[in-house]
Amino acid sequence: MSRKNDDTAPISAKKFMDELWRYKQGSVSRRHFLSVTGLGMATAAMAGAMPMLAVSRSAYAGSIGDRVSMATWPNYFNPANFETFKKDFGAEVQVSVFGSNEEMLAKLQAGGTGWDVFVPTNYTISTYVELDLIQPLDLSRLPNFAEKYYTKRFIEPGTVDGKVYAVPKNWGTTGFVLNRKKVTSNPTTWKEFWDLSKTSATGRVMVHDYQLTTIGNALKYFGYSFNSVDPKELADAEKLLLDVKPHLFAINSDYQPSMRSGDAWMSVAWTGDGLQLNRDIPEIDYVLGKEGGELWSDFYAIPKGAPHLDAAYAFINFLIDPEINAKEVSVHGYPVPDTRTTELLPKEMTQNPIMYPAKELLDALEFGAAVTLTDPLRAEIMARFKAA
Amino acid sequence: MVEMINGAVDVEFQGVTKRFGDIRAVDNIDLEVSSGAFVSLLGPSGCGKTTSLRLIAGFEQPSAGDVRIGGASVVGVPPYKRPINMVFQNYSLFPHFTVADNIGFGLRQLKPRLSKSEITARVGEMLELVRLQGFEERRTWELSGGQQQRVALARALINRPTVLLLDEPLAALDRKLRQDMQIELQTLQRDVGITFVLVTHDQEEALSMSDTIYLMNEGRIIQMGGARDLYDEPINRYVADFVGKTNFFDGEVAEIKPNGAAIRLANGRVLYGRNPRGGVPLNRNAGGAIAVRPELIHIVKANGSACLTTDVQTTARVKNRIFLGEQTEYLVMAEGFGDILVLASKHAETVSGGFSPGDVVSIGWEDSSALALENTSKGDHSTAVPVPK
Amino acid sequence: MLLLPTTLWFLLLLVMPLVVIAVYSLGERAPAGGYQPALTLAQYANLLARLKAFTNTLTLAPLGTVICIVIAYPFAYYLAVKAGRGAKPFLLTLVIIPFWTSFLIRTYAWIYILGGQGIPRLLEMIGIEDYRLIYTPTAVLIGIVYGYLPLMVLPIYVSLEKLDKSLLEVSSDLGANPVRTFFQVTLPLSAPGLVTGSLLVFILLMGEYLIPALLGGGKVYFVGNALVDLFLQSRNWPFGSAVAITLVGIMLAAITLYLTLVGRDRGRQDVSVL
Ligand SMILES: Nc1ncnc2c1ncn2[C@@H]1O[C@H](COP(=O)(O)OP(=O)(O)OP(=O)(O)O)[C@@H](O)[C@H]1O
Ligand SMILES: [Mg+2]
Repeated sequence: MSRKNDDTAPISAKKFMDELWRYKQGSVSRRHFLSVTGLGMATAAMAGAMPMLAVSRSAYAGSIGDRVSMATWPNYFNPANFETFKKDFGAEVQVSVFGSNEEMLAKLQAGGTGWDVFVPTNYTISTYVELDLIQPLDLSRLPNFAEKYYTKRFIEPGTVDGKVYAVPKNWGTTGFVLNRKKVTSNPTTWKEFWDLSKTSATGRVMVHDYQLTTIGNALKYFGYSFNSVDPKELADAEKLLLDVKPHLFAINSDYQPSMRSGDAWMSVAWTGDGLQLNRDIPEIDYVLGKEGGELWSDFYAIPKGAPHLDAAYAFINFLIDPEINAKEVSVHGYPVPDTRTTELLPKEMTQNPIMYPAKELLDALEFGAAVTLTDPLRAEIMARFKAA
Repeated sequence: MVEMINGAVDVEFQGVTKRFGDIRAVDNIDLEVSSGAFVSLLGPSGCGKTTSLRLIAGFEQPSAGDVRIGGASVVGVPPYKRPINMVFQNYSLFPHFTVADNIGFGLRQLKPRLSKSEITARVGEMLELVRLQGFEERRTWELSGGQQQRVALARALINRPTVLLLDEPLAALDRKLRQDMQIELQTLQRDVGITFVLVTHDQEEALSMSDTIYLMNEGRIIQMGGARDLYDEPINRYVADFVGKTNFFDGEVAEIKPNGAAIRLANGRVLYGRNPRGGVPLNRNAGGAIAVRPELIHIVKANGSACLTTDVQTTARVKNRIFLGEQTEYLVMAEGFGDILVLASKHAETVSGGFSPGDVVSIGWEDSSALALENTSKGDHSTAVPVPK
Repeated sequence: MLLLPTTLWFLLLLVMPLVVIAVYSLGERAPAGGYQPALTLAQYANLLARLKAFTNTLTLAPLGTVICIVIAYPFAYYLAVKAGRGAKPFLLTLVIIPFWTSFLIRTYAWIYILGGQGIPRLLEMIGIEDYRLIYTPTAVLIGIVYGYLPLMVLPIYVSLEKLDKSLLEVSSDLGANPVRTFFQVTLPLSAPGLVTGSLLVFILLMGEYLIPALLGGGKVYFVGNALVDLFLQSRNWPFGSAVAITLVGIMLAAITLYLTLVGRDRGRQDVSVL
């Protein structure tokens, strides 16, 4: 099932489309896109003809292989760390980014991803185990992982039936960002978020292209659980969504550009994006709905059939090294459930309420539930909402 | 648009020049085509024949001078407003139309619009004229070259133009078909009474078909006249060379005579020739040439029973013999003259019994059969004067 | 003899996937997504839930094709008939240059051009406030025309280039003014290029998902987007297959209709179209 990752092999139409899709989602760099699709072949051929131009393979090549491929989320890594990894271990990091767990699952179900490492969200891991798409971790190969440093509730979802399948990467919340210069009322609830979308902020609001958060926060309007799969409650949420749809600016998980350009005034958002936007444009704020919403944690895991298993272990172990991990956080702004790493973070971060919200706000949040990932009704409501 | 006056001049060029960048495709040409005439523009490739035709049709506008049709200037008038139609060199039939639709194209452009039945009737007449009845629904690529040619002709004639232009209409046909079509075209022209302007580089075609020939070179008209004028009275060496076959004997003008000149050849021999009608008298001590048509040279067995009494005589050796059916062509070599072409008629052959290569013969011609010509090979515009009749 | 392998390839490459999709479309979604065998028409009964995707596609794809024709034809005409020897290679290069960068990057550029900092900003300067382009059908249409224009220009250009220019002179010579010459000679003789270009653009547009996804912001939804969502998000393969089969059916019907209309007056002339 493993995909051939030979850069020089001619690319298949399907792979080209995959790459295009990944590229579209911002998951791969232009350079990677060009090299994988063969559009960079000219450069490669030139380098071949002039050996002094070719990049020499690291001395480590052969020990763990020359590449490691990871599926993760947008704006969720520090490219400088990947360079370090390449220098130290000789393996190049190839990244694909996704907009939703559903998409990630669909890819793994279809097979042939070629991924070595992927970043599932807490509530999806049990499903991956059920579908036999994930492999248990050999913790002896992850010396940087030590349970005692981690917050318990963020570790738990990685263990299914007593076996550890995933180690924590980051945790965070799902709230909304708003541009205070444009939205002058002071919304603090999801109810206000949705009502504003239909009224004074009409045409200026974005929601994720992701059923869990979009449907979940619509459910919150009515005070239902973020994870509800009750058909009656979902029917209410769908009605709200269809109601709001004509007022939306876009349904898109890539909301940073539109927020930055001022086209969008509000958007459902994750912690790190809120922090990144706020850091660059102070009038953009990150708000957690008082009714609650999602609390989540993401994990590093290895899919069944990972083509570069040694590289996968080396890479995960490298990324959870506190020093490296702190460098990750300094770029993406998502908190880490590992005290060793947190201690290394600057005060501006550890005291930032976007990263570490007040306790009463946190208490109202729920973890996503596994059932939402595969529930056909939620999937169909999301699709109908987009198709409307 | 333009009144057609019988007996009048249909097409007139007044000092027309057409430049393409640095090239003068047509260079200060005067030309008159009178109504009902069959005129040919004759000349080698690239001499400006097509350009002249396109100036008449309106596809080109003159860089200088005036183009007049039926007495009125048409400079700036687009082709579709001129009472002139053209048969294109490669016929250019519309591939998306049937034969009938091709022929009827011109009628369908008329205003007020003609009824369908009228169009069908007139297309039928044209098909009859070009003998293509029953081909109405054929597609153009299902026709032979000759049939395509006739469709193109019918298409150009159906609007009854004042002048019909034909650009090398027969060039793509084989010899036999070409000769048949030459006769057909002539008959047709007489029947429809339309002025024809034909472009050709084939001198035989021009000589056999047209009333008037304009012989062109490098954008200019060198000589204009009937077939006989050009053949019998070529005003310079270029014309004599282009029209029919001629023997030239080059030398220096030794003496000017009232109606001719004497020319001294390199071997010291002096030959006489008369001036062509309309030609320019030669200058003493300038270069010149004596031109003698091959059919005007007599040929007999040397020291045989028959002997020559012509003004010029010499012995020669037969190098080559070509049997042409009605005539036989000999290439002979005469000391001091070089190679000479001689045409013997069937009759003369019967008398002499014919010659074989290697035979020694006597040849000769009358001074009145020889022309004294300017040695120019181009022809100068100043010599392009009409031959007085 | 040579036909056999060709036919086999054809079956393998074109028909087999369709058969697989057709079989899927009669099945059911597995509990965790994907396909499980069944024999039901339930997926087809549910097609109305994607009606908007079909109506969007069936309006914007033909509209985009028509706009492409309207813009491409004069351009191709100029290129083939009027452009000078110097301008022609330059203009042709301009048509082809966009192919040097990925379609994606070019479409991405439009996000910024059509976004608040782009054209609407310029409009603001001349007093037109609050004009929204990005994530509207207009934006999608602009993206479509931009992306597909070369595919329309090139076949039309080729057929006009092949057109014997003396036919235009014949037409003029026989009394047709330029307008009549265009409609009686130029247009019918360039029809093969026009038909090829239109089919090419139309077929590709019917399956388009990238442009609506990027420039429609999930608000201008094509059947292509429905397919992506059904296969990649909901993992509802059977329903996705039913949508795909329906799309193929509509496409075949539309193409047949179009070719019949185009071919009706063409008589026996054999115009090879593709
Ligand atoms: N459109 C044009 N642009 C540039 N030069 C041209 C053009 N048309 C003709 N010429 C040049 O003008 C000269 C005369 O061309 P024209 O076609 O009139 O010759 P022609 O006598 O018809 O020759 P042919 O017997 O080969 O058809 C040639 O040197 C030709 O190259
Ligand atoms: Mg010519």
